[in-house]
Amino acid sequence: MTKTALQFTLLYIVLALAQAIVFNNVCLFGVAVPFVFIYVIIRLPMTLAVNWVLTIAFTLGLGVDIFSDTQGMNSLACTLLAMARRPILHLYFPREDELTMPEPSIRSLGPEIYGRYLFTMVLFYCTAIFLIEAFSLFDPLRLMLRIICSTFLTFLLLLGLDSVMSRRS
Amino acid sequence: MGTLWDFLLKNSRWFLFLLYVVVSCMMLFDSNPYQHYVWMTSAGRVTSAIYGIAANVTSYFHLHDINEDLQRRTADLELEVINLRRQLRAVNERVYADSIARDSIMQPFDFIIAHVISNSVSRSHNYITIEKGRLDSIRPEMGVIDQNGVVGIVNVVGDHSARVISLLNPKMRLSCKVKGRDYFGSLVWDGRNPSEAVLEEMPRHERFRKGDTIVTSGYSAVFPEGIPVGTIISHEKEHDDNFYALRIKLLTDFSTLSTVRVIANDMRPELDAISAGEENDNRYNP
Repeated sequence: MTKTALQFTLLYIVLALAQAIVFNNVCLFGVAVPFVFIYVIIRLPMTLAVNWVLTIAFTLGLGVDIFSDTQGMNSLACTLLAMARRPILHLYFPREDELTMPEPSIRSLGPEIYGRYLFTMVLFYCTAIFLIEAFSLFDPLRLMLRIICSTFLTFLLLLGLDSVMSRRS
Repeated sequence: MGTLWDFLLKNSRWFLFLLYVVVSCMMLFDSNPYQHYVWMTSAGRVTSAIYGIAANVTSYFHLHDINEDLQRRTADLELEVINLRRQLRAVNERVYADSIARDSIMQPFDFIIAHVISNSVSRSHNYITIEKGRLDSIRPEMGVIDQNGVVGIVNVVGDHSARVISLLNPKMRLSCKVKGRDYFGSLVWDGRNPSEAVLEEMPRHERFRKGDTIVTSGYSAVFPEGIPVGTIISHEKEHDDNFYALRIKLLTDFSTLSTVRVIANDMRPELDAISAGEENDNRYNP
């Protein structure tokens, strides 16, 4: 348990910093932005109390907000994502008791279900963040394009991150 | 009291969720940009310290670009040295052969080198200020170029400084032609991109290729013929179907302008007199 907590604390710090320093500066073709830090929320154990998940997600989003001067955007989207996590997993994997490990991963869910879960989470986050952003600047076609491109970019990056993480553990 | 406590505890996740959403929204819809706490922005102490460390690392990534800039600058300075040496030689020759009249037909143009002290590329009407003026024999309507190509035309002259209408100004129209051809049109900036302009009124029957060089036409006394301006990127039809408009990539990099040359045309008064004469002729002999 302590080991897992330590691992997640490390992951939290590393991904928040990576987002602030590296990935915030990436914007492919002017539309695709990678949101790598949400990997922490995606991988948190399902057994963890929802209150903790919400708090972790909120502070993570707040941290990224402070770095990128986007007051409240990421913290709101992260809070929404943390709340939507369980329903999204239940879409593809209703029998939560049968999870071999408490964390959603390729090993506990199988590649297909995990892939779907990951994609839906990323899509949810990208939709949320760009809709929140659209409060100030609305352009429907560009909004769709940004959501789709950013979802695919983030999804691919997270798959890559996943393969690195699983090889290490 | 006990039931209330139970109710709160049982639904704590929803209350926490609501709390976080409300806090986020308060930050999100805080309309006054000057009342943010400094620690909540990238100007905060921790944040800026981390960005400082990151910048320390990433600054090495740009060494290639910086090196290239420095090399370009060295090349410019070398060019300037050559220019100055030539000017020095010309002055020496002039001192040496003071009594001999200068052949003004063979060498009608002379350069005055000036430094740019203010410049803009982002406005819709851009001007450049240089640190030489009337006392350095700069006059209105002199052409300004740099080592790459045309920069603009002197507009207002003070004693020690002058304002130049940049090529990036819709008020300026420059007579240009495709190198090696005789058809000419007028180049004007459309206000979109500081590295592109449009060459209008090119005759439709003429064929153009991408990458062809555009040079000044020499049909005015401001610029001599053949000073490079840009290269063709693409061509589009104008609303009047008889003409093409060519999109031009400008050779001058206006964002890094530092040293320019002002063209002094010795034949200018003569040419102006001829033009004035023509106008007078037209007026009296319709």
